[in-house]
Amino acid sequence: MEGFNVITKRPFTVGAVLLILILLAIMPFYAKPYPVISLTNILMYIILTVSWVIFSGPTHYISLASAAFFGVGIYTSALLGKILPLPLIVVAGGFASFILALFIGLLTLRLRGMYFIIFTFSISELIRHFLLWWETNVEGTVGRWVVMVSHNTVYYIILIIFVMTMLIAYLMRQSRFGLALRCIGEQEEAAIHIGINATIVKSLTFAISATFMGASGAIMATRWTYIDPRIAFDPHLSFMPVLMAIFGGTVHFYGPLFGAAIFAYLEEILTTKFPYYYMLFFGAILIVVILFLPHGLFGLIQKRWKGGSE
Amino acid sequence: MKSTFLDSQQTPSFKKKRIFVFEAILNIVIAGLIMGGIYALIAVGLSLQYGVGRVLNISHGEFIMLGAFATWSLYTLLGVSPLLSLIICGPFLFLLGFLIHRTLFQYLRDKSESMGAFADSSLLASFGLLFIIQNIALLIWKADLRGYSYLNTPVSIFGAIFTANRIVALLFAVTISLAFYLFLTHTRMGKAIRASAEDPMTAQVMGVNIHRMLAICFGLGALMAGFAGPLISMMYEIQPTMGIEYTIIAIIVVVLGGLGSITGSLIGGFSLGLVGSIVTYFNPGLSLIAYYVIFILLLLIRPTGILGK
Amino acid sequence: MKHQKLLIYLTLSLILIIFLMADHSQAKDKIRIGNPIALSGINAPGAMMTQIRSYDMWVEDVNARGGIYVKDLGKKLPVEIIRYDDKSDIGTTVKLFEKLVLDEKVDFIFPPWGTASHFAIAPLTTKYKTPVLGPTCSSLKLKEMAHTIPYMFITLNQPWDHGGVIVDLCLEVGVKKAAVIHHTDLHGIEMATSIVPMLVGKGVDVLLYKSFPAGVKDLSPLLKEIKPLGVDALIASAYPPENFLMVEQMMTIGLNPKLFFSSVGIAYPSFRDKFGATAVEGILGTGCWNPKVSPAAKEWFDRYTKRWKVEPDRWGTAQSYATGQILEKAIEIAGTLEPTKVRDVIARETFDTILGRIKFENQFAKGWPGHVGQWQKGEFMVVDKATRQAAPVYPKPEWPKK
Repeated sequence: MEGFNVITKRPFTVGAVLLILILLAIMPFYAKPYPVISLTNILMYIILTVSWVIFSGPTHYISLASAAFFGVGIYTSALLGKILPLPLIVVAGGFASFILALFIGLLTLRLRGMYFIIFTFSISELIRHFLLWWETNVEGTVGRWVVMVSHNTVYYIILIIFVMTMLIAYLMRQSRFGLALRCIGEQEEAAIHIGINATIVKSLTFAISATFMGASGAIMATRWTYIDPRIAFDPHLSFMPVLMAIFGGTVHFYGPLFGAAIFAYLEEILTTKFPYYYMLFFGAILIVVILFLPHGLFGLIQKRWKGGSE
Repeated sequence: MKSTFLDSQQTPSFKKKRIFVFEAILNIVIAGLIMGGIYALIAVGLSLQYGVGRVLNISHGEFIMLGAFATWSLYTLLGVSPLLSLIICGPFLFLLGFLIHRTLFQYLRDKSESMGAFADSSLLASFGLLFIIQNIALLIWKADLRGYSYLNTPVSIFGAIFTANRIVALLFAVTISLAFYLFLTHTRMGKAIRASAEDPMTAQVMGVNIHRMLAICFGLGALMAGFAGPLISMMYEIQPTMGIEYTIIAIIVVVLGGLGSITGSLIGGFSLGLVGSIVTYFNPGLSLIAYYVIFILLLLIRPTGILGK
Repeated sequence: MKHQKLLIYLTLSLILIIFLMADHSQAKDKIRIGNPIALSGINAPGAMMTQIRSYDMWVEDVNARGGIYVKDLGKKLPVEIIRYDDKSDIGTTVKLFEKLVLDEKVDFIFPPWGTASHFAIAPLTTKYKTPVLGPTCSSLKLKEMAHTIPYMFITLNQPWDHGGVIVDLCLEVGVKKAAVIHHTDLHGIEMATSIVPMLVGKGVDVLLYKSFPAGVKDLSPLLKEIKPLGVDALIASAYPPENFLMVEQMMTIGLNPKLFFSSVGIAYPSFRDKFGATAVEGILGTGCWNPKVSPAAKEWFDRYTKRWKVEPDRWGTAQSYATGQILEKAIEIAGTLEPTKVRDVIARETFDTILGRIKFENQFAKGWPGHVGQWQKGEFMVVDKATRQAAPVYPKPEWPKK
């Protein structure tokens, strides 16, 4: 019933969202090919960031295992690429990540704060090194190939994953589940006291957030076509969602979305316009943004608005 | 398709075997201390920045890289000994760290309304620093792999053979660690630092100028990087992207040793070095896996690290 | 709330529209070559050493001559490289390749650095019909793959080239016992898996066959394990800095096999200069090209050294320059910039380059001066049986005393 209320109370917002979705959906027909590819990449970063925020946002448990979930999706694609049709592979990738995240979630019950952060990072690295060892010593080779898929197909699948991620993120945030998560984030002991099963809530949410990462990994593998453990589990994919979320600001629902979009787009423009200086500019922009907008790009807007209305 | 070590004709006599075992242990221990010494230095550095200042300085490794490259330049262009560079790079990076904290992180800290918000903003800021420092290094030194030969002569310690530069690095790392430990436990400043790490509020009440303390600690963290960089450059080839690898190790050691405990970082560093050395001795391919497995197991058993609260 | 959201949606749509509309068409007044390559990240040193400087020098040389003559357009066109940093990240490499081809509409592509990167762009060369000459791609898998990627030409010599030669060398000098070690990267694994069966098949005792992680910081335990075995040959397939570390530690512990071969990096002048010409005397590595292979090679060597203040390496640097020469000749012969026609010319003609007379057989370059080199008196000499410039030095001299 909440969903219905949203539509009737804010018809303008819903209409605008639908318009944008339609524009995005028909983009391959009116846009040149490269912008579609670029947008695919940006959507991938948005999916990673928004799914990361599903768990880490409300609970403040900063997970650095995103690379593991994305990588699992990539490997699912590499291993099952010749056996299953593409949609099933994407689902399988999501499912594999779901299971892995559930396992990790249950494992890390007692860890908090920095310990949780570094633990998740270590799990990701362990998987990477273990897979490298396995591929080297047991399989005798290190790289794997993934069948290439047309970039429009990749775009549509990513678009679908994107829509689902946003939908689930929004629903969770509005639901009682989301409330439980925020309670756990504020005061975990109290939350347990009032009857919230923190273990199940945390693990399940963690697993849900990982699903979309895995699914997007599975489809992006078809763009990269050659993968090995170093490429698939690149730690920078663990850091990026965190940075993009902070950059965009986690106060609002759409903060991470636009944070990721702008961050990724900025990176693309800077690397191509200033190949030898872009890190300098990029780093400077990050610092300037956080100095003047400590709540991220979209954290300030709320403050300003609040000030104006009162 | 893996074959195993084929033990050929010789069967060592009993005495030979005992010497062999002793030598093996000596080799493992010294190699472990060499690596561990570096780990301890960089971990203590990060621990100071995080433990006291609550800044997870992702650009820590870049300071190490700067120290390494500055040493390389000084040696290859001016013939300055890397050991002398320790005294140059250390203080210079201390100053850099102090100033960066005083300007950037202090400002963020004042503006943040909670520690959580500060954690986020300082993380983003230190990431920005990482990018800036790396780009500057690439512009100055280009992307090539660099190295030099210094004190390359073999040195024998009861049969265990190492290059002199590694033994020197070990001695310096151990000395600096020890000196710093004594500084922490026996001087007023040291005690003030430890107090600030454990409980900044009380420390402030007790008269510690907390703002200056934070900047000094951040600077000290950079100082450690400034010591580690030259030592590393003596032993290995360096490139501008070397930083992140050391940052990650530092973070792991800090957590391993227990957050908030600088001594823990010291112990953690040497321990990890030894563990790595032991595993490398038996199967080098598994050494990185071993690091992570041990770390994960330790956290599962003892969720606050070796000496953490 | 409404206004704020409206503003955001409008801004976003505006951005969307702007970057869709970007147009890059211009009058044909130069030949544009895209080069997505590592300027930062772990591949950057290799890229700089082997490709970037060669490509840039080729552009300077071509433009000094007025450009490349394109018969179709009836004039000489200067050349320009559009280079983007792929940050040593495959995903970025792929995206930049497509940006250069689709958005910037470049005429040709100079490839990135590294086998993995070449694999990643290979399907794109077929999809967009872009001929690419690959100087840093080496893998056993290429043999079966080649016919599926007809626009990809591999100029680098391959594991079977080096492997065959080094095994023959071992047999020629009478190696009876060997140790083989390699790093856990595709290159290391493939080279070792080619060489070991060949050695064993020809009656050489492989007493140790182990791997170590890429980027290892201490090889002395492994080397100390090898020392008592008394092998004649140590074959180590690795990259710098691993083999640099290896040599340093071999000197320290006094491991001095009569034959020492390591693959990538031995041919770098920095390898020779780090230890000194006397110390590296007799060390074998993958290669091989040097200024002595022809007068043209010497002339280029001197010009390169003067231009960049560093020597080119004795393996891939000259080869990358040669890929530029091949592209230039192919455009001239084809008379057009049309990629498929240029591709066909590359496939069938023979080209005179500073590397040698190069012809592609099934997309692999033939005509290398040699596949294995050995440092002799400060120069990396070709010691292949078939094409040697000098007889192999065996046994390798003792490490110099400190």
